[in-house]
Amino acid sequence: MKVKIRQWNGVASWLWVANDENCGICRMPFNGCCPDCKVPGDDCPLVWGQCSHCFHMHCILKWLNSQQVQQQCPMCRQEWKFKE
Amino acid sequence: MEEIVMESDSADVSAAAPQLGVGAAWDTVTTALMSPGCSVPEQSLSDSLVLLCGRGLGRLLGGWLLETLQMRLSSSVVPEFWSGLKQPENELEERGRAWVLLTAFRTLLSRLEPFLGGLETLGTWQQEGRSSLCGPGPRGLQELAFTIIRALLLFSPAPVLQERVLEFYSRTFSVYMNQQGEAEDGAEAPDGPEGGACRGCGVPTQQCWCQEALEQLQELSRILSKLQLLEWVSSEAVTSILHRLIEQRMEQHCRGEYERSFLLEFQEWLELVLGWLSKVFASEADGESPVPAPSAPSTPGVPSTPGVPSMQGNQPASSVLKQWRCHMHQFFCRIYVNMRIEELFSIIRDFPESKAAIEDLKFCLERTNQRQQLLTSLKSAFESRLLHPGVHTSDILTVYISAIKALRELDPSMVILQVACQPIRKYLRTREDTVRQIVAGLTGDAEGCTDLASELSRGDPVTLEMQDSDEEGNDPEDWTPDPTDAVPDKMGSKRRSSDIISLLVSIYGSKDIFIDEYRAVLADRLLHQLNYNTAREIRNVELLKLRFGESHMHYCEVMLKDMADSRRINSNIREEESRLSEEEQPPLSLSSIILSSEFWPPLKEEKLELPPLVCQAMEAYTHRYEKLKAMRTLSWKPHLGSVTLDVELEDRTLSNLTVSPIHAAIILHFQEKSSWTLEELSVKLGAPKELVHRKLALWQQHGVLREEAGGRYYVVETGSSKEKLERGVMLIDSDEERDSNTTTQSEQREEKLQLFWAYIQAMLTNLDSMALDRIHSMLRMFVATGPVVTEMDVNELEAFLQRKVREHQLTVSAGVYRLPKSN
Repeated sequence: MKVKIRQWNGVASWLWVANDENCGICRMPFNGCCPDCKVPGDDCPLVWGQCSHCFHMHCILKWLNSQQVQQQCPMCRQEWKFKE
Repeated sequence: MEEIVMESDSADVSAAAPQLGVGAAWDTVTTALMSPGCSVPEQSLSDSLVLLCGRGLGRLLGGWLLETLQMRLSSSVVPEFWSGLKQPENELEERGRAWVLLTAFRTLLSRLEPFLGGLETLGTWQQEGRSSLCGPGPRGLQELAFTIIRALLLFSPAPVLQERVLEFYSRTFSVYMNQQGEAEDGAEAPDGPEGGACRGCGVPTQQCWCQEALEQLQELSRILSKLQLLEWVSSEAVTSILHRLIEQRMEQHCRGEYERSFLLEFQEWLELVLGWLSKVFASEADGESPVPAPSAPSTPGVPSTPGVPSMQGNQPASSVLKQWRCHMHQFFCRIYVNMRIEELFSIIRDFPESKAAIEDLKFCLERTNQRQQLLTSLKSAFESRLLHPGVHTSDILTVYISAIKALRELDPSMVILQVACQPIRKYLRTREDTVRQIVAGLTGDAEGCTDLASELSRGDPVTLEMQDSDEEGNDPEDWTPDPTDAVPDKMGSKRRSSDIISLLVSIYGSKDIFIDEYRAVLADRLLHQLNYNTAREIRNVELLKLRFGESHMHYCEVMLKDMADSRRINSNIREEESRLSEEEQPPLSLSSIILSSEFWPPLKEEKLELPPLVCQAMEAYTHRYEKLKAMRTLSWKPHLGSVTLDVELEDRTLSNLTVSPIHAAIILHFQEKSSWTLEELSVKLGAPKELVHRKLALWQQHGVLREEAGGRYYVVETGSSKEKLERGVMLIDSDEERDSNTTTQSEQREEKLQLFWAYIQAMLTNLDSMALDRIHSMLRMFVATGPVVTEMDVNELEAFLQRKVREHQLTVSAGVYRLPKSN
């Protein structure tokens, strides 16, 4: 007997490679989106800081904009630098 | 001189009078009154009158007349009448009985006529003020006489009168209707076989007495109206005849016929009947009227209640007829409503076709006070015919939808709909698959009911209650109060919706359940699709957005977007693959649907180890994806999806089979080894034995595998005997249901209830014992975060707690729950 597979339609779910489940700022899952967004994934990406913490991009930008003096990671209080 | 002459004249008279004697004068006057035949000289009559009046006896005349009448009546006339009526016992046939009836009345009239005549003369004298006579006048006197006649004659009427009258009227009716060319196609009119029978009077044509009957009718009417007995004698008979006829006709014509309006038809027929009635009540209008017309300026259009002939026969026949027309109309409406109420369930079931019946019913129902009856009957019809376990949920829904459509025609205030359908809604709430059926209907998946889908695509958001709830645009002049049977609720009439979808959705009181269910259905549909074609789903979601609002459908939108994204990613990856050299080409053409897990309903988790070939392909796919989307990876759901494959056997090829991944995995394993035991396969696939066993059935059905003793499965390389194969197909029961990929509603609910369990335990630890209501309200208070609590009613909580009791995690006594004492 020989089985020839013409087409395999699989199902997968995508997920961010992050060290946490939820965004530390909005507490929403990373695989969802920040409160301001409707659509997850490309439209509401994650960003990583050099301190290795990551957040929804929109969340951390909002946070950084609200910080007058120094821009710190809200989790570890180190100076926030985007990870390249 | 003159004065003296005058005096002497009067003296003469007064002198002459005593000569005449009071007795003689009395006799003269009474003779003149009682027997108009024999002529009393005018002179002596007036002399006598003057004499009597002079003695103050004039006013006794009326009394005497009436007294005599009364005596005569009770001593001879009445007994004669009744015995005349009964006399021929049962020997005569119908025609003879009619004759007897008429004769009895004729005699009655001839006996009474002298008195009536006398009273009239006396009344005329009184009116003229002759010899200073005064009194109530002819009308008043006759009125008194008629009262006496009625009282004595009909004091204890024998049933035979009613019987005879009824029979006679029925006969004349059929004669009349026959002559009018409206042959009654009822039981009374045998045609064809018996042939030669007159359709009117029911006897052989040569003996037809139709004409005679009509003449008799006319005479009877005349006599009765003369004696002012018409209403008293006939109304009952006429009423019952009309009742019976309308009922009969309706049974024959309307029962079971819903597609045609009968109102006009009946209206015409009733006019015909009215022609007959006008013969029955013909009376004075066309006969010699004993009372001049200016009688009562009867108020037209004000019908008196049937059976109480408050207005007497001495008013113009046309107004009597008008009354009867009203009665008849009322009868008709009532009978029609009665019949339709009985049939309402069937009418509703056939609704769009039975619109005519509904409209008729609406018209009649407005004229009879039978809403309550309708409600009660419809409710019990629903309960006995629809709401039992033998009826499929989708059928209940179909009937409910028809009921909504039909009843909103019937009662635009929606009160009947609301009240009558309450049991349906309540019952549907207890059916587990209600939501799924409704959603299937909405998406057009349901077999039977396409109503919902078309209703959805009608998508007229303006009529929806959510949109117009705050609108006060209506003209206050148009306001109508609710019918009295409305259920008083805070919603008010304005919120009483007639929109089918809103009504269905509100069965559970919340649209979230429906949206969740729709999401599950949508997920199923999308995952079972082979291509990424979502046009239909997009349309549905857009329509549902109009209904439920944008925010509720957000998750579904993301799901659809995932489909579009997946398609793009797939083609990207394909393109990349195609650039590879020949030998690097992947051995398996793999495409994938990539989900945003947070937005899809929880998918069933099943363990499944796919063959290495597939795993490698998936890994490669994941790599490409990771390259495409930085910092993201894929988590495969090996058991989901679909596989198209060909199975090439020695003597045959099954091509283009579409199966689920586990089927594919099984058959791929058979490729490397032609016989497996169930255990081996189960280990290899990492799936439970029962599941594998079930899935193997598909290949057995296709005749690719066969099971042999010891739970071993072999490949059937040669389909040597086709019959055997076919028998195999017959024998192996296909329990291959199309599994839903999403967890069911009840499973999800279970999870939510489990969440409460922690709260309940904590409460009971602190408070020792609590009653059901208390637990419910506490949960409401503390667990106010989600929509979950509000949706959970006490009954559900009770069921949950009961289960916990059965599992010995709770104890209950006298309605109070507590945690079991831990040992």
